[in-house]
Amino acid sequence: MLRALVLFLTALLACAAPPAVAQDSQLQAILQTHADEVADPGRRSVGPLIDDLAASGLPGIARFLDRWSNKQVFLNAGDGLFYYGARDGETFALRDIASDEPVGTAPASALEEIRPNGGVRRVIGSALVQFQLSDPDRATRVDALDALARRPAADQLEPLRASIEGEPDPALKARKERLAGLLTARFGEGTETRVAAIEDLADATDIETRAGLNRILASRSEVAETLPEGVNLARVLEIGPDLSEADAYSRLVDDGLAPAPVTNAEVKTALTANIQNGAVAGIPVEQLSDPDRRTEAYAALAASGAVPPLVTPEAQAEAVASHVFYEVYEDPDPVVTEAARSALDTIEARVARFQVLDIGLDAVSLASIYFLAAIGLAITFGVMGVINMAHGEFIMMGAYTGYVVQQIVPNYTASLVVALPLAFAVTFAAGVALERLVIRHLYHRPLETLLATFGISIALQQLAKNIFGTQARPLTAPDWLGGAWVMGDVVAIANIRIAIFVLALIFLCVLLYILKRTRLGLEVRAATQNPGMAGSMGIDPGRINMLTFGLGSGIAGIAGVAIGLYAQVTSEMGSAYIVQSFMTVVVGGVGNVWGTLAGATLIGGLQKGIEWFNPSNTLAAQTYMILFIILFIQVRPKGIVALKGRAAGD
Amino acid sequence: MRALVRSNPSILWFLGLLAAFCLGVTFLAEATGTGAISTSFVKTLGKTLCLCLVAIAMDVVWGYCGILSLGHMAFFGLGGYAIGMWLMYARTEIIVSASLASAAIPPTPQEVEDAIASQIFGVVGASEFPWLWAFADSLVLQLAMVVLVPGLLALVFGWLAFRSRVTGVYLSILTQAMTLALSLYLFQNASGLRGNNGLSGLQNIPGLGGVPQSVVSIAFFWVSAVALALGYLLFAWVVSGKMGSVVRGIRDNEARVRFLGYHVEGFKLFVFTLTAIVAGLAGALYYPQAGIINPAEIAPIASIYLAVWVAIGGRGRLYGAVIGAASVSLLSSWFTGGGAPDIDLGFYEIQWTDWWLVLLGLSFVAVTLYAPKGIGGLIDLVAERRAPSRSRDLGPDASALRKTEAAE
Amino acid sequence: MTDAALAPDTRPTRKRETLLELSGVSVSFDGFRAINNLSFQIGEPELRAVIGPNGAGKTTFMDIVTGKTRPDEGRVTWGERNVSLLKMSESRIAREGIGRKFQKPTVFEAQTVEENLAMALKAPRGPFDVLLGRTGASGAERITAIATEIGLAEHLPRIAGELSHGQKQWLEIGMLLAQDPRLLLVDEPAAGMTPAEREHTTDLLKRLAERHAVVVVEHDMEFVRRLGCKVTVLHEGSVLAEGSLDHVTANPEVIDVYLGR
Repeated sequence: MLRALVLFLTALLACAAPPAVAQDSQLQAILQTHADEVADPGRRSVGPLIDDLAASGLPGIARFLDRWSNKQVFLNAGDGLFYYGARDGETFALRDIASDEPVGTAPASALEEIRPNGGVRRVIGSALVQFQLSDPDRATRVDALDALARRPAADQLEPLRASIEGEPDPALKARKERLAGLLTARFGEGTETRVAAIEDLADATDIETRAGLNRILASRSEVAETLPEGVNLARVLEIGPDLSEADAYSRLVDDGLAPAPVTNAEVKTALTANIQNGAVAGIPVEQLSDPDRRTEAYAALAASGAVPPLVTPEAQAEAVASHVFYEVYEDPDPVVTEAARSALDTIEARVARFQVLDIGLDAVSLASIYFLAAIGLAITFGVMGVINMAHGEFIMMGAYTGYVVQQIVPNYTASLVVALPLAFAVTFAAGVALERLVIRHLYHRPLETLLATFGISIALQQLAKNIFGTQARPLTAPDWLGGAWVMGDVVAIANIRIAIFVLALIFLCVLLYILKRTRLGLEVRAATQNPGMAGSMGIDPGRINMLTFGLGSGIAGIAGVAIGLYAQVTSEMGSAYIVQSFMTVVVGGVGNVWGTLAGATLIGGLQKGIEWFNPSNTLAAQTYMILFIILFIQVRPKGIVALKGRAAGD
Repeated sequence: MRALVRSNPSILWFLGLLAAFCLGVTFLAEATGTGAISTSFVKTLGKTLCLCLVAIAMDVVWGYCGILSLGHMAFFGLGGYAIGMWLMYARTEIIVSASLASAAIPPTPQEVEDAIASQIFGVVGASEFPWLWAFADSLVLQLAMVVLVPGLLALVFGWLAFRSRVTGVYLSILTQAMTLALSLYLFQNASGLRGNNGLSGLQNIPGLGGVPQSVVSIAFFWVSAVALALGYLLFAWVVSGKMGSVVRGIRDNEARVRFLGYHVEGFKLFVFTLTAIVAGLAGALYYPQAGIINPAEIAPIASIYLAVWVAIGGRGRLYGAVIGAASVSLLSSWFTGGGAPDIDLGFYEIQWTDWWLVLLGLSFVAVTLYAPKGIGGLIDLVAERRAPSRSRDLGPDASALRKTEAAE
Repeated sequence: MTDAALAPDTRPTRKRETLLELSGVSVSFDGFRAINNLSFQIGEPELRAVIGPNGAGKTTFMDIVTGKTRPDEGRVTWGERNVSLLKMSESRIAREGIGRKFQKPTVFEAQTVEENLAMALKAPRGPFDVLLGRTGASGAERITAIATEIGLAEHLPRIAGELSHGQKQWLEIGMLLAQDPRLLLVDEPAAGMTPAEREHTTDLLKRLAERHAVVVVEHDMEFVRRLGCKVTVLHEGSVLAEGSLDHVTANPEVIDVYLGR
């Protein structure tokens, strides 16, 4: 309405001149040739007009057809020309039929509204599809295809086929061909044509094809005393596994094949309505708290005809037993439905394989996150026998570092490049400080270290809350990390997760390099396996501890940036990951990069696996996972990759 | 008993102080005395006594037996849930019966139950009782659950954990995982315990509708005090004598105890389960005073706080645990409740509601570093100065953690 | 020596029969064979000294017998009915009657001497037995007797951590006595003792060996000589020689690997 007003005003300003200055155009010319058919279209007579329009190849034809069928085309009695019109109070704003430019206004009395009937609209609609499908604008073609896929109809098949030839975009061409196949499968002439089309579809995995095949297999539930002959039977429902007895009975009631059961509430209402002198049918009201007495009273009322009789459970069971419940395909052709079923089965088997792949990739990306979150913990635990409860807060610290950097550096890519090393530096420093100030004084008292670092953890968490507030802070990923990698409509992995996987891989390699190829790594490994011996060989345990603690904390900071990119940054984000990280370390085994990798893989895979079985419930998935871990410890108390022999220090 | 008190003079001190404290509170409470202490503060004190009880249990399992359990607040919560189920059921039953009584026709038992169920589970979109609630109508059975549920969980979990020789930090993490699993499970609406809504209205004791809360609160206060006293005696008995020797031996050198022929796992299981049961009982007394229980109360952080209390109070001394739990939890409610005055630094105003946790965390680190014996250690110092006797250091010290041959 | 220290043992001095037998036992740590096809047996009563250079497998041998280390192969059988020790837990083995004194004294340093002895005292070992049972008058008597034997009668209420190294050694021996095992595994009992104490230890071990099976691991040849018993020489995880001290010291191989150095 507002827009109409604006248009009207614009029109007034632009064309203060007399209204309806016709702009001659080819389209108007064609319409004038068929003026009678346009003004009063009939289902049969409209054909030649549309053919002419199609033959002309003019640009505005799709728009015209669309508006024509939507009753937006008017005949101006004054000049006998056709216009697009929009009501604006007492007058109409008119637009040129070819250029869609405003040309002025006209009073309602001067205009004749053209109202094609339903049959004509359908003819126009299918013609319109053809125009849209061949529209030079790609977006229009995609819209048309989407609409077609949503509401397939038999008469769209021909226009669709006709548009395949001229389609320049290979992807759209393939989609058109597939849709044509689907339409043929559904609306094609003759069983063989349809079956052939269905068989051609069996190698697809996309949602459109699956939905299309499911439409062919649409069925309705029916009930009868005996199974009827000559219907395309989908399946017979068994009472129990397929259909509960109560549902079956209510279906009988719906179909008028059995009397409606009297509900307890109805019984109560009936009894209440029939209280006479403190009794119902001779039974005192006080006794009606007993269900048996109620039944008795109701039966007495029913016997007197005051209320409909109770339907006993036995009667219900009998009624259900004497009927057969079944489903019938909407499509009457059994050969076609059979072919569609087998094609769909083939597709679904393939989709299931893709889903397994999808879950697998999901699990890998989750495992990468756990690996990043846990590896620092594993290193410090392995080398120093210290569990750092503040590890989660180091993750949080890294994420907030990323957030702060993003406030200063507006370019997301650049800020990420700055944030990663900065987060490492900040948390490395925090880790070294923690080691020097606290943990150093608590060697050989692992439980007390656990508690002291916990004290640090609550202080840091509250500090973050005081500084950054309680609401979540966004850490925005650059655009190139925004999309997702999609495969066959089933597998979809967010690019950010792929990036985290790559990051985890890089850290795995870097850590392996540090541990296996550098002097520091040698000393760290020595300290892990035999601290006493390492000390007596001149390795300064204080320095090793400080560096490993810093390294572990630094990686936590990096993990924080990575996690912050796809989850929200809050002061509590650390505690969400800390237990999973512990689990990863415990399951994987202490003091070994590969162990942590194995642990992360197992935990990530397990969590995704459980979620797959019970997809709606992440909480339950975590519960079961923890139970699994407790049981896993029974089998392998030292984790997957365990140090053996005397070095294990049992 | 006499021998127990003689060998452990702190018992008399403790019981005497507790009795004096109870009398004092009773004298100052609204219902029974001058009213200088508000009902809500009586409740806070009663709850604190329950926390002291669970802290003693924690002290026994950690300070004496060396198992840093991060699961005892879960047992505490389970006890609360067990009693909460009865409280909620019985109270809803009273309300529902009253509303149904006005109907023209008296309700059937099934109708009453359905009405209770839809009243209780309406918030989670259910209207039927889950199997968990099978005994909720019976106080006796739910009281049995208060003991059985934490006890059995501790027994099964402990058996699995101890059997596989999981010790030290590993064991702590495992108990934390158990706690997390439990709280996550309870957070689900499908758990049958009203998901994150928890159980509420527990302060209304069924059958005591006419009794004012001021009386209920002082009654619960006394019951909590008696429970604390009994718990203190029980644990003082357990950790004295040969049992105490073995348990402390397990803490200091598990392998050596094993070579003496003791089935270490059995002793650990005994201590773990017994303390879990006491924790459950403490929870069953706590939550009717708190009025509400929800899964957040069971989250691992709660159990860690419990360890913090015990550490600050002083491990390896029962009174230390009491001092820690009472002082830290009361201080905590003073600071977070806005009782502490804000400090204006000129450029920044320290509001304790925001900074209390920072202070607690840092002071906890300080205690771990500089006063590993906690506040209880100060009492020892005073006692020693007054009566220098042969020291009976019951606390774990550095020598206990020295690497020994049997442990290598 | 008061008889009370060994009083509950009313078993008569009987004919020697095999109490513990190891056969074909091997164990390796990360590829290193600590025990290699070791066979060993000891009767009851018997006193046996085990000697050997460092790394010969003496401690691992004790670890296997006490259940701390599980061998990769071989059999370890115990008692008259030849039950296998391999399936038993450490505590079960200890309850079967195998006591061990560690090389470095491992007493419970935070507890008193009396508590240490009471804990070791032979009595039912279940949690409820311990909780409800009482150390009766006979128990207290035995503790006093053992404390007298090990020279710590004065020190019963003291914290074990305050004792000197030698006193801790004695306390550990006392704990072993209190356990009243059938087989005593004694690792370097005389380390850190004065000559007089050594003599006392020798006497004690000899007397114990009248009724019990005693295995003494020792470096000190003089001490072994004074024990005057059969000697087993371990080398690289298996038995190199066995016999009287004079017999094994005459063995050229033994001289090569151990005594000759």
